[in-house]
Amino acid sequence: MADQSKIGMEFPASTFIIEKDKIIEFAIAVSQKEMKNQIHPVYHDEKAAKAAGYEGIPIPPTFLTSSFFWTGDGLTGMVTALGINLKRLLHREEEYEYFCPIHAGDIITRKMKVADIIKKGKGARTLDMTILEVEYINQRNELVAKSRTTLTEI
Amino acid sequence: MTGQHNTIEIGSEMPEYISLPITRTHLVRYAGASGDFNPLHHDQTFANTIGLQNVIAHGMFIMAIAGEAITSWIGNKNIKKFHSRFLAKTEPVDWDNFENTKDRATIVVKGKVIRLFVENGEKLFECKIVAENLLGSKKLSGSFIAVVTGEPPRDVNE
Repeated sequence: MADQSKIGMEFPASTFIIEKDKIIEFAIAVSQKEMKNQIHPVYHDEKAAKAAGYEGIPIPPTFLTSSFFWTGDGLTGMVTALGINLKRLLHREEEYEYFCPIHAGDIITRKMKVADIIKKGKGARTLDMTILEVEYINQRNELVAKSRTTLTEI
Repeated sequence: MTGQHNTIEIGSEMPEYISLPITRTHLVRYAGASGDFNPLHHDQTFANTIGLQNVIAHGMFIMAIAGEAITSWIGNKNIKKFHSRFLAKTEPVDWDNFENTKDRATIVVKGKVIRLFVENGEKLFECKIVAENLLGSKKLSGSFIAVVTGEPPRDVNE
C-alpha cells in the first residue's frame, strides 16, 4: 500500500538524450510496423520532417514516458520507493502537456515528484491512487512538457 | 485522400483508425521500444500468478495507438495536451485461435471535436477520443487539445 508520507517526495532528476534511432524504434512499435521505411517519414527522415514544419525529427506524443523506464531507477525503483505492490499495480490515467517542440538530439532532464496519494473506500475495499508529476526540461533550460500519471493499487 | 476535413468545427470527426490485431510480438516490441518490461505484458506465467489467463497490452500501448491516430490526422506538432483514462484490459490475439480472438485484439480509435477556443492568442480545439476493440469493449477514453491550423489535416490513409 502506497505510503502517504511520500506525498511531495522528489525522485532524483535524470537526464537522457532523445535518440533518433529510439524514436524510430518507438514509431515502428506503436504503428505496428516492421521497419523504418514503413513509418511516417517525419520520424526517420530529417528532410521530410523539415518539409512538414519541424526543426528536426519530432517524437511521438507518448514517447516521453519511455524515459521513465530506462532512466533513473525505473519501474522497480519507483514501486520500491513508494511501497507499491507491483502485482496490484494498475495504470489508470496519463496526461501530457506540451509546451515546446522536442526533437532528436535534445537533452532532456526529467524531474519526477509524488504529487498526491489518495486513499478511497474503507476496510478491505480501499483503493490507493498515486499521482506522479514529471517536468521535462531541455538543454536550453526550457520546460518543454509535463506529464501526470495516476496509478492505482487494486 | 487528403484534406478530408478542411476546417475543424464542433462535431467534426477524426478519421477512424483501426489497428492490426495486437499480437504478443507487438507487445514485446512495444516493451522493448518503451522500456516497460512489467512482466504482466509478456510473461504468461506472471499473468497466471495474478489470476489472468493471458498477458495483457500495456495501457500506454493503447494510448500510443490513439496517439498514432491523432498524429495521422493533425500532425503531432499541433498537439498541446493529451489525456487518457484506461478502462479495460486488452488481450492479444491467439495465433492458434486467430479467427475467434482477432476482434478482441483489434483497436478502433474514434474522436469528435467538442470545443473551439482561443488561449494566449492561439486558436485551439478539444477533441474527445475513445479506443475500443471490435467487440465494443472500451479500452480508453480521453481527449486532446490541438492548434487549429490553416493547413488541411492529413488523412490516415495518406
